[in-house]
Amino acid sequence: MKKRVLALMLAASMCVSLAACGGSSTKENTAPETPAAASESAAAGETVAEGEPVKGGTLTISLSASPSKLDPIHYSGVYESQIIKEVCDTLIEYNSDLSEYVPCLATEWTASDGKTYVFKIREGVKFQKGQYQDGRELTAEDVAYSLNRSGQLSDSNRLSMLEKAEVTGDYEVTCTLKSANSSFLTALTDAGNAIVPKEEVEGWGDEFGNHLVGTGPFSLETFQLDQQAVLQKNADYWMAEPNIDTLIFKIITDSTQAVNALQTGEIDMAMDLKGEAIQTVRNNADLTLLETAGLHVAYLYFNMEQGPTADINVRKALIEAVNVEEMVASLYKYGEAQKASLPLPPGSWGYDAALESKVPGYDPEDAKKLLAEAGYADGLTLDLYISDTEARQNMAVLLQAYWAQVGVTLNIHASEWGTFSEVAMSNNANVYGMSWTWYPDPYFFLNKLFATDEWGGIGNGQHYSRPEVDELLQKALEATDQADRADYYKQALALIVDDLPGLFYANENVIYGVNSRVHDFIQRADGTVKIVTPENNVWVAD
Amino acid sequence: MLKTILRRILQSIPTLFIVITITFVLTRMIPGNPAVTVLGPQASAQDIKEMEIKLGLDKSKPEQYFDYMMGILQGDFGTSYVYNRPVTSLIAERIPNTLVITLTSLAIAIVIGVGIGVLSALKQYSILDYIFMILALVGVSMPIFWLGLMLVNLFSVQLGWLPALGMGSMSKGIGDVISHMVLPCFCLATIPTATFARITRSSMLEVIHSDSIKALRARGIKESSIIWKHALKNALPPIVTVLGLQLASAFTGAILTESIFSWPGMGTMIVSAIDNRDYMLIQGTVLFIAVVFVVVNLLVDIVYMLINPRVSYDSKGGN
Repeated sequence: MKKRVLALMLAASMCVSLAACGGSSTKENTAPETPAAASESAAAGETVAEGEPVKGGTLTISLSASPSKLDPIHYSGVYESQIIKEVCDTLIEYNSDLSEYVPCLATEWTASDGKTYVFKIREGVKFQKGQYQDGRELTAEDVAYSLNRSGQLSDSNRLSMLEKAEVTGDYEVTCTLKSANSSFLTALTDAGNAIVPKEEVEGWGDEFGNHLVGTGPFSLETFQLDQQAVLQKNADYWMAEPNIDTLIFKIITDSTQAVNALQTGEIDMAMDLKGEAIQTVRNNADLTLLETAGLHVAYLYFNMEQGPTADINVRKALIEAVNVEEMVASLYKYGEAQKASLPLPPGSWGYDAALESKVPGYDPEDAKKLLAEAGYADGLTLDLYISDTEARQNMAVLLQAYWAQVGVTLNIHASEWGTFSEVAMSNNANVYGMSWTWYPDPYFFLNKLFATDEWGGIGNGQHYSRPEVDELLQKALEATDQADRADYYKQALALIVDDLPGLFYANENVIYGVNSRVHDFIQRADGTVKIVTPENNVWVAD
Repeated sequence: MLKTILRRILQSIPTLFIVITITFVLTRMIPGNPAVTVLGPQASAQDIKEMEIKLGLDKSKPEQYFDYMMGILQGDFGTSYVYNRPVTSLIAERIPNTLVITLTSLAIAIVIGVGIGVLSALKQYSILDYIFMILALVGVSMPIFWLGLMLVNLFSVQLGWLPALGMGSMSKGIGDVISHMVLPCFCLATIPTATFARITRSSMLEVIHSDSIKALRARGIKESSIIWKHALKNALPPIVTVLGLQLASAFTGAILTESIFSWPGMGTMIVSAIDNRDYMLIQGTVLFIAVVFVVVNLLVDIVYMLINPRVSYDSKGGN
């Protein structure tokens, strides 16, 4: 009797748990198709802008990692720059499709000899009120002070090319660079080089980050570590009065929970959606999926100096062994990436589609032949290092299968970022898998990944080095005309592609889930969330 | 007894010293470079070198250890690399948040767990007993992160009754705070509740079948008084031991629960400290948890002496 009761209860508890699992999957399968269609038909990367903008309301956005340092010279992560860029302005900005610079705190600028830049500073711009100043006007001194501060003290050397910034007129600042450097203007758009008032910086000292003040559309009201940053609108914002009253960045490190919070309405926007979360958003009529091709490349980087991959024929064989199209299709089931070929994303102006054909295609037979010729007829064992994200681990398993077909045994070492980065930097991996994303200027990809002086960083941890490439990259950095620069970068890119340093397999999209109450939001390829720009002013309907 | 307590406190000093040393060695043994995690993936070799000097990581390991030890002796537990703030103030800021959910969930666990345990013991081998013990088994074996996400899916996403994450704010009223606490506390209480239920049941069973209880029954004392006053009191020592262990491990259990529910407590901080190789913060939090363990153990021993005078930790006395 007792045994029967026990068995019954076990069966009952199993039924309950099975029902729980089944419940969620049926919901997915039977979800109406219309919302998905609706969200796809919306203009890519923008929410609806029609209708009379509503003033007021709160917009809550999730951040996947906790911002810790909001002082521009100390910040390190994208999630920190999101907050800094709402509170502060930079001298110049990128427009929303990142195709050109637009004025921000500088109304115009001139460059001469590639080393000297003169900026006209916007008049009548006011700082937000702070502890040490009462919302006074922005001056040329503030600009020079902020730029010099970053030039000298930035933890990540975000303005290290700057020799000095000087006030040369009532509303004029002249910047002199150490040597001609065309990445300067892009650097000025970085949150790390935002303009801040001296009194606040010096008044707060090390605490300035927690009491950040700038000229931006929102002022920092409270900043609770690991919890949230609450921003209130700056009604006197020089560009336009923000439509939204309160902007909250809420820290949600668990991506499943971010989508849950989006569904419950606790947040209005979730960034960096991946995998199944994308389908969840598509299936929900109240949510819109925003998708824009990102400035992103996912790749495998071969060791250029040590081990079997130092031999270009081995590298060629390894590339030929992979059916990239098939791999990308199965890795990104929800269409969240495109197949790539080159170490630059197509969104960068240095991209050269003509080079795509130089990358070897799928040819396992030739791969076997090449490996045999290189002396690995009996097979070869390689170690792959990746960070332990789902996307990377799935990629590694597929790669293992492809390479096994040509006799290569792949050992996968997946570890969290701290461990991975150390191996990646130190030239100790046969192959590592990671991704790179930054500004559209090719400098931020090609220099970081392939310049000899980047050895020891994570970008060029595999010790790629070719004097001709270094020379071209340097020329591109010194040239002032963008057409000339693009030309140098294309030449450098051609040489790099010939050397087959890696397998550049995917360009991932920037993907957000957004509540339909959010209007007039434009998604940007660099993942920056901008609430008020010359092109849009986000509003929420309640 | 005062002497015993004093001796126990002195004994804990070497324990803590060993904890500090092991934590120091372990943090240095994990691969990874704090300067790199502080700066992010785009840092150049030059940036990294400069940051290492700034963080004092260019010094030799024995030198770093010596500096850290000297700091601790002067009450300075170092500055977090990532947050750029003293470790002590970061911990002090988080403790209340963690205490709120750990103590609440433990209180829930004791009331429900002990209650279930006593009922199960009284109705041994009944259907009720089976149901409770199966639930308890499920409870102790439940992966917390899975349970957490399922609860959110049901109560927040599907039913919309409770918030999915975050900590409420008093400015929105006590209701907001409590509604944010329900899911994390339930999650965190699962394992302790089940543990209490099982330990109470077995301890009670032992006691109610003992001669002393039979003697009480023979004297015609009321059954409820026998159970709740005499039996439960004699069954308490193992429950108190488990309480001590659970109290201390609730701090570590909070790590998972807090991460799932974006609860800004010690747990989320420890996770980010480890991810970021924030040596100072890891050392500080581990040391703090070690102190909690030591103190709780001491308290358990004291309570033991109070509820059971036969127990003595004085080597000269007792049996």
